[in-house]
Amino acid sequence: MAKIVILGAGIAGHTAAAHLRRKLNKTHEVLVVSPNSNYQWVPSNIWVGIGKMTSKDIIFPLKPLYKKKGIGFKQAKVMSFYPEGSNQLIKPHVKVEYVTGEREGTEELVDYDYLINATGPKLAFDLTPGLIPGIHNTYSVCTFGHATEAWKALKELIATVKKTGENAKIIIGTGHAKSTCQGAAFEYILNVEKVINDSGLRDKFEITWLSNEYDLGDFGMDGMLLKYGRKNISSAEMVKSVFEDRGIKWITKSGVNKIEKGVAFYENLAGERKEAHFDFAMLIPAFSGHGFKSYDKAGQENTSKLFKGFMLVDADYSSKPYEEWTAQDWPETYQNPSYDNIFAPGIAFAPPHSISRPRKNEAGTEIYPAPPRTGMPSGITAKLVADNIIDQIKNNNKNLSHKGSMANMGAACIASAGYGAFSGSGVSITTFPIVPDYKKYPKTQGRKLGKTFGDIGLAGHWLKLTLHYAFLYKAKMKPFWWIIPE
Amino acid sequence: MKFTKLNKFTMKNPLIQVFKFVYLSVKIMFVVALGHGSTRN
Repeated sequence: MAKIVILGAGIAGHTAAAHLRRKLNKTHEVLVVSPNSNYQWVPSNIWVGIGKMTSKDIIFPLKPLYKKKGIGFKQAKVMSFYPEGSNQLIKPHVKVEYVTGEREGTEELVDYDYLINATGPKLAFDLTPGLIPGIHNTYSVCTFGHATEAWKALKELIATVKKTGENAKIIIGTGHAKSTCQGAAFEYILNVEKVINDSGLRDKFEITWLSNEYDLGDFGMDGMLLKYGRKNISSAEMVKSVFEDRGIKWITKSGVNKIEKGVAFYENLAGERKEAHFDFAMLIPAFSGHGFKSYDKAGQENTSKLFKGFMLVDADYSSKPYEEWTAQDWPETYQNPSYDNIFAPGIAFAPPHSISRPRKNEAGTEIYPAPPRTGMPSGITAKLVADNIIDQIKNNNKNLSHKGSMANMGAACIASAGYGAFSGSGVSITTFPIVPDYKKYPKTQGRKLGKTFGDIGLAGHWLKLTLHYAFLYKAKMKPFWWIIPE
Repeated sequence: MKFTKLNKFTMKNPLIQVFKFVYLSVKIMFVVALGHGSTRN
């Protein structure tokens, strides 16, 4: 009998729990520890942020589902790690603290045979002074709560402009010099533009993209050369065309370092310090690790064995220049090198380095995107971690035969460009591999053309909507859910 | 690249986009579902 504890119930944690429960018999225990009571389908937050969906469309409660499926659930947050056990409990364990109910605030030691850390990122708003959702006219779409708040503010701004006839400025993009998730901001700016266009007030709004990307379409993936119809174009060219078509201005190579009411202060790669004024802004914060601590059997702190911000896994973390980065640097099994029963799929693992070329200005300020790890790689890496654990439990196979490097994995980014059954639009991009392999594909910017392609149109909106329903169906573990790929 | 009138018509025409939807669904499935693996061997 094995006990598998999963920390986090986002895309990675929930996927791992679902596959483990389906493939292991009930003599084995699968336990999820998460401070959140709901599962949320994060990619649809942008539609909550424009009022086309509400939170109930993208979330469902975890407890009843887990009870029905035989998955244990503790609504608690992890506090610290004891991978060798401690003087309180011999088995490896984590210390958790309940966040709700009668036990709120009480701590408990949760032991495990296998631990999956799927705690995702901390939304580090605090790294940009003044960047607080709902304050200083800045908003976020990182959670359904933030997105609901963003829509309320945007709706009010549109109503004010309609009433007063005054012009307004909107800024959407990244709120820190090393933010990631440009894709979500890209979706949001196009959806906001469509909402404003539909309101008949487009000429009253100046909409600007403000980002830490070196060029448009970088998306934290170093940009890409893609097949677009019969042509080969860069992602920069594609995004530029969309922005020009929609009348959206852009500022790139810039890292926001402070927010005051209606003002974003930023520094660019040329070393200039500038200000951008706005009436409404949605800026993605930096992501960071949660600052967990780890202790050995004697109670001595050994955090460096488990964490480097995020959790250490089988990546090559040696420091080397961009020119020497290789596909092989990226992890394949997501197993911690010090403790072979601990894994970190999804966003919880520490990447070996960024994907985009690191750049800094003369003052030494680094301005470039951190590597994104979206829903698809999160789901794929969680499933392969679950499969390796299942192999170990069922067949005593310690070889970790299930592997999935982001440098040998395809991903689809179906970016909504506007909501509407017949007036909607989507930018569909697939990329293979996610992390460019410049040795394998030297002439096509590290990626396989054809498998890396782009398309724009109404079908993209239908696709995004189909994925919304399909992945919520899968997450609810309805009949044959496992047929739907990650 | 600038979108021509024909480009825009194609992007918005529901009939054309139905075929595109089927094509993209299959193609995306092909890219993302057909395997991932190691880079070290």
